[in-house]
Amino acid sequence: MTTKTLFIGMDGCTYTVLNEMTRDLPGEGVTMPFLAGLMAKGVRAKLRSTPNPLTPPAWTSIMTGKGPGEHGVFDFIRAEDKGGEVYWTLYDSRDVDAEMIWSIASRAGKSIAALNFPLTAPPPKDTNGAIVPGFIPAKHLRRNSHPLGLFERIKQAIPGFDPKELAWDFDKEKQAMETLSDADMENWVRYHLPREEQWFHIAEYILANDKPDLMAVMFDGTDKIQHQAWQFLDPALMPAERSELYNRVRGVCREYFGNVDRYIKRLVELVGPDAQVFFASDHGFTATVEVLRINSYLEDLGYLKWAVSDGSEQALRREASDFANLDWSQTVAYCRTPSSNGIYIRVAEKPGDPGIPQKDYNRVRDKLIEDLKQLRNEDGEPVIVDVLKREDWFQGAHMKDACDLTLVLRDNGFVSIRNLKPAVVKRPNPIGTHHPDGIFMACGAGISDEGMVGKRKIVDVAPTLLHSLGLPTPSDFEGKVAESFFSETWLSEHPVKIGAPTVRGGEREKSEEMDDNEKKQIIEQLQMLGYME
Amino acid sequence: MANDLSAASAAKLTSDQLVAKLAALLEDFTQDWDHEFEGQMGRGTTLLADLGFESIDIIQLVVAIEEDITHKKVPFDKLLMKDGRYVDDLSIGQIADFLVAQL
Repeated sequence: MTTKTLFIGMDGCTYTVLNEMTRDLPGEGVTMPFLAGLMAKGVRAKLRSTPNPLTPPAWTSIMTGKGPGEHGVFDFIRAEDKGGEVYWTLYDSRDVDAEMIWSIASRAGKSIAALNFPLTAPPPKDTNGAIVPGFIPAKHLRRNSHPLGLFERIKQAIPGFDPKELAWDFDKEKQAMETLSDADMENWVRYHLPREEQWFHIAEYILANDKPDLMAVMFDGTDKIQHQAWQFLDPALMPAERSELYNRVRGVCREYFGNVDRYIKRLVELVGPDAQVFFASDHGFTATVEVLRINSYLEDLGYLKWAVSDGSEQALRREASDFANLDWSQTVAYCRTPSSNGIYIRVAEKPGDPGIPQKDYNRVRDKLIEDLKQLRNEDGEPVIVDVLKREDWFQGAHMKDACDLTLVLRDNGFVSIRNLKPAVVKRPNPIGTHHPDGIFMACGAGISDEGMVGKRKIVDVAPTLLHSLGLPTPSDFEGKVAESFFSETWLSEHPVKIGAPTVRGGEREKSEEMDDNEKKQIIEQLQMLGYME
Repeated sequence: MANDLSAASAAKLTSDQLVAKLAALLEDFTQDWDHEFEGQMGRGTTLLADLGFESIDIIQLVVAIEEDITHKKVPFDKLLMKDGRYVDDLSIGQIADFLVAQL
């Protein structure tokens, strides 16, 4: 058995940084020489992310070939608005209402390995190969790895294997969006070096020993580092004179990217010259320069009321959380989470319920869109440059779960839901935020050497990977094979085929709406986690 | 269908049988944790005091019980909450008795 297809995911990776890391810079040289060589003889495109370019929906689209309206994952947390209360929970693999490529390939008799991808826990038991999920605390990584015994095998086989260094640490990850001191920022970047090294060693071990037909690993330090250290990576923000801090933090960032180059080199060498190698990111990155306190603006317009705080420690903690804390009886439209960048309009299901009557929905929404587009910053520039209606962008079985309106800010920033004024304020320094254009690249046998080609959609990654494996595109995929990624000769010998639709496995079958006990349970779980008081 | 059958067979388990299943599950669940518990897990073994559970661990345990033992969702809120607040700790026996009543 030999690996046909190697897929390396790089969370939040952007050509803005990659182009710098793969060229000869004065005083720095080439940080990623191996990747530079691959890019020079392969093909690449910008990859348009999901309408809200966010890790959970975007990686799920990469893994399913479908948009959020179909696969049903929109954010890190899932919420249900039930009249007087909003219920929150966290998304996991059981919420993904679409078959992932790992399962599709397994059903077709191919073996797979998927390492560090979000939304893969708990792992489907019908997987033919290895899954070590991402975004899972260290104590629970073993039980969430597939197949049974894999974790022990890794532990025994890899010297220095340390799940604590490898796995998701909730307390540490919160720092990604916090304002850190210079020392903490440097430590934040350094924290990801050994973590990524651990994932590399697992990938190297699985690839060398199991040789799965489809080998996939995701490195997510790119995203985390860019959030905090964007000003040290974006060439447009490079200062005329570099401070000691700038050189030091940029040096650690370059060390990270240099390590990733080493990982890529080793993995590509392991699969050999006959394999096809693909790279993709869930979104790109750019600088955000201002903060939009969206719920504060909606309050100014009379769409919502804040919850009244009693000043207790509990109330202050709730205020500071990343979940909208509102007076639900007087709220018509609001933003739930910063990561959603969206606005929900509350529609009363029956007279007396909070929210607007259904018959007023279009009128209220049109007025709200108009209000949102009117917002200006202190320089008179429009802050919200586009407002996406859910029926235009989230068509599918789960459209009703999408935000009514998704906001596109002029600087691609994520909104704040803090109860602070003014509604728009400049940031003291630019920080990293998600850009809708990520990367999609390929090289290897049968791959085009065209260099940059036309932009692709994020849903095109899954059918392209399946095509590389020799499998047809399921007829219900939204995405299409990126034919421009393959050489004409290879494509003529391997024409694109459309096959049977995907199968929703029993384990991934979405449960019906939760009953009241289940909702209560979820609330309590979140309370225990400290998300709610 | 398989889950339906598994759920049906789980419904026939006694409290003692569930204690044994829960103890086995927890032995596996905590095998590589840093807790100081020694000896055989049994009806009186407690999650927080003996096994060093944190809130995220309880969430994961609920999922594990539903996946490995009950094969269906169970309203654990009735066990975890008493008089509007969280119980301080839970023993394996309490969980087993609760499951008998629920299944």
